[in-house]
Amino acid sequence: MFGSVQRIAPVLFEELDRLGLSPIWDAPEIRADLVIVHNPAFLKRQRDFGARIFARHLVVVTHENFLRPGGVEGFDVGSSLNAIDRAALALRKSIAPISPHNRATVTGWLAEHAGYSNWDLLDADWINVCDMPRTAPNDRPKDRRGRHSRPQMEKFPPLAELDACFSEQAEANVILGADTLIGMEVVRPHWTMLPFRSIEVSDYFEMMDFLVYFTAPTWRESFGRVIAESLAAGKVVLTDPDTATTFGDGVVPCRPAQVDRIVARFVAQPELYVSQALAGQRVLDQYSASVFRDRFCAVLAAEPRWSA
Amino acid sequence: MIVIDAANRSLRAWDAKITLATQLAALGHRVALSASTLPQEFDRGRTYEASPFLADAGDLDASVIIVLSADEFDDQVLPELREQVGRSGARVVAVGRFADLQSKLGAQAKLAYALGREPIVVDLSDFQPRPLLPKTAMPLVAEIAPPQSAEGRRVPGLTIALGGTALEDPEYLPRLARMAHRTAFKLRVVANSEQRELIRGSRYHDLPVVTFTELSPVVLAAGTDVFAVYGQGVPGERMAALAVCVLGAGGAVLDCTEDRAFMSQGAPVLRGPEDPLSLETYLTETVIVNLPQIAQQVTASPWMAGVDIARLESLAGLDRPVPARKSKASGKKPGRTVFMPTNGVGLGHAQRCAVIADAMPDSNKPAFAAFPSCVPMITGRGYDCMPLVQRSDAHIEPFANDVLTYLRLGQLLGQTDSLIFDGGYVFDSIFRTIQERGVRSAWIRRGLWPQGSGSNEAIDREYIFDKIIVPSEAFPELNDTYGSGRSVSLVGPIFRQKPASQADRSALRRRISQNFGLGFDKLVVSMLGGGVASDRTAHLQAISGMLAKQPDALHLVVVWPGSQVAPGLLAWPNTRVVQTLDALQLMLAADLTISAAGYNSVHEILYHRVPAILIPQSAPYLDDQTRRARALSERGLCETIEETELLRLERTVVDCLVRDGQSRLGKALAEVELPEPGAKEAAKLIAELAEADR
Repeated sequence: MFGSVQRIAPVLFEELDRLGLSPIWDAPEIRADLVIVHNPAFLKRQRDFGARIFARHLVVVTHENFLRPGGVEGFDVGSSLNAIDRAALALRKSIAPISPHNRATVTGWLAEHAGYSNWDLLDADWINVCDMPRTAPNDRPKDRRGRHSRPQMEKFPPLAELDACFSEQAEANVILGADTLIGMEVVRPHWTMLPFRSIEVSDYFEMMDFLVYFTAPTWRESFGRVIAESLAAGKVVLTDPDTATTFGDGVVPCRPAQVDRIVARFVAQPELYVSQALAGQRVLDQYSASVFRDRFCAVLAAEPRWSA
Repeated sequence: MIVIDAANRSLRAWDAKITLATQLAALGHRVALSASTLPQEFDRGRTYEASPFLADAGDLDASVIIVLSADEFDDQVLPELREQVGRSGARVVAVGRFADLQSKLGAQAKLAYALGREPIVVDLSDFQPRPLLPKTAMPLVAEIAPPQSAEGRRVPGLTIALGGTALEDPEYLPRLARMAHRTAFKLRVVANSEQRELIRGSRYHDLPVVTFTELSPVVLAAGTDVFAVYGQGVPGERMAALAVCVLGAGGAVLDCTEDRAFMSQGAPVLRGPEDPLSLETYLTETVIVNLPQIAQQVTASPWMAGVDIARLESLAGLDRPVPARKSKASGKKPGRTVFMPTNGVGLGHAQRCAVIADAMPDSNKPAFAAFPSCVPMITGRGYDCMPLVQRSDAHIEPFANDVLTYLRLGQLLGQTDSLIFDGGYVFDSIFRTIQERGVRSAWIRRGLWPQGSGSNEAIDREYIFDKIIVPSEAFPELNDTYGSGRSVSLVGPIFRQKPASQADRSALRRRISQNFGLGFDKLVVSMLGGGVASDRTAHLQAISGMLAKQPDALHLVVVWPGSQVAPGLLAWPNTRVVQTLDALQLMLAADLTISAAGYNSVHEILYHRVPAILIPQSAPYLDDQTRRARALSERGLCETIEETELLRLERTVVDCLVRDGQSRLGKALAEVELPEPGAKEAAKLIAELAEADR
């Protein structure tokens, strides 16, 4: 699951280090009151989980959407869930979505697939923690648009839509993670196309006031960390309605064809821009560490005590 | 238009593309392949195979894009596909043999992300539970034809795919050679390159052999009623595709493999003998006599439902075009006859074809496809002519022009047409067109071939022709036998005949004199060739020099229009250069002709009784001109001068012009008995070919 080299996310590593805990790799048996399996999609190419799980409560956190737009299965969900199910002896087995949109795909999939009634759906989403430092919005915004993402194709809309998102009307169009576009020799003199990780994200945020973030229409972010980062940086975010559901009124849902008009309105009314950006930052409050801590503690409190 | 692409750029994927393209095109679909998707390493056979379908990416007007090998995606291909779909808005159909649901979903997602829309995904595993090979890029499908009645059957075509060790048995090749002469079936052998070279170097070099990649499996299948496969396992995707196509057409596949590779997959095949030496008996006693029954069994097999191309068409949403209805009249109308002469050194092949064309019945006016140097002569004789492209060192590939010839012949010829080829080497374009188009064909092949492997290679391809027409030499000792084809017809010499009276001759001499402003008593015509095969500048200079001493002579150096002429020739007082397509007319007006000894020139000299000195050309790829010239001079019908005998040439010219040489030759020529010319007979054979039932 970690590739040929087993690595730990830096945040997790720091916390484990602070607590003096060592990770246990490849344990043949996992035994705990609460066992959390992150992202069942890692099992999509393997038949077996590779370990036995004994738990009172097993929670599977669904970091990848079960369904793509149009209802197409995102990966072999059944096979992945079955592999976990076969490996786990647990009193309760739950699925924890990570966002409203992600939840919708899980419920949609479960509705179409019989035989998974032994899995329940947790009431609250196990959100991404967004504790990024906040930056005040620019009170003199310009038509400076940007987007950043990994360079994979699912992260980008068709070229015609990208043209609408980053039009000649803008003073600047910065695309960070444009490796595929560069590889395809797409030529747009009014775009600044930068390869993934070629500049610091903070420098990139200096170059733009609007995040215009659309993906392939056949794919959706399950949470939208890129959007959260941009909101924290005080930017106004324009995105598709599906992706926007996670961030409520903190982002502007729209279609690529509407981008020019919406951006022009915000540029003409800086106070509107600031107001929208602050609304975005307020939404991030829902995704703070403390919110997640409370949510997690509620789950723990509901667990019956382990008795030998 | 259907554009066929693949999820990776491997040669396997390419073979899959081209095979499906050929099959869909045969069903009437408009199919194309993007030239930008060609694999880096591309052999000659595949170049020809691909050429009818290739188009530049920007010219593709796709309504459907079929992506094969979708179970083996190379991410580098995605941007290209994205661009293509973005340009055309085409519907995308991904075809693969997916190992599990995740493989299918993964491939679908990759495409969906790249294209911004969902593709249709066709999982071959769904309807081919037991394919001949477990992992194939090719869909392995075929048109399922209704069983043919016994009456309409042709001589069955037998194709044998040799196993890797087949030729280790010394008995094997002789046995194959024996089978090649059986009339109960028409043999073709599929071998690897090493085996083909081994066969070519053996005494059985004229066995009809193609390599695994030389012809499309679809084309091979069209000439195959029985396919016998040897070796270990199914020998690759192309042979698997061939087997499926043969079965689709109701043919018999004989599984002679050591591991019963075809039978083990449930395919409706026959278990053939593992011992190749037993095949002949099994074929004649069990298979050939039962072909209609075998076809019924094959068609009834449930396994065939999995290879029905109609299923793939349906899943991909392809509507099969309705074939145009043929009127009763057009059904009976014989096709067109198209002559294709090579251009060789001069225009001999084209001249001969034109002579035969002149003798064709009025109901069958032929057309030509010819190289640029021949076109004016052919059109001047009143025939339509499709120009071909001359070979050039400037082309990237030495066979580039022949690929164009292949394309043009493909456009020109329909199934009812006849292709009449005149030349020494059977180009790949001819080899392929005849087999792919199923056209009637004849090879006009004059004799006196040079010795060597190149000749063997050319003769080895004679099996593709329905008829071999051999214009004979005038003298029996020159008529060697080449090849072992069943349909070789020897006809009389074919050459241009031009009646010319003494009055015509005198009139022309007067015009020549007036034209050049030179009076003369003796007219000498030199026709030593265009200088490609042998440089004859020294000889022409020598002749011009010696004739400069004969003030009553006029020397005409006759060349084809467009030929290069050494500037030094223009300086002689009584030598003039004439560019003409009608050398014969000048020859008839001359007192003495000095000529190379090509087939046409010699026969025109002989049959028109023209006194001549022959200087044979001797390039290794030419016919044996020396033998031909010697046959005449030994009968006193001409003088033969070797190319190094310049002093003797002078003596001979003087002897002819000043002494009695000319009259001695004229007398011998007047008395010689010559065989009947063969143009009419050749024309009759070709007309019969055009009208024959298929």
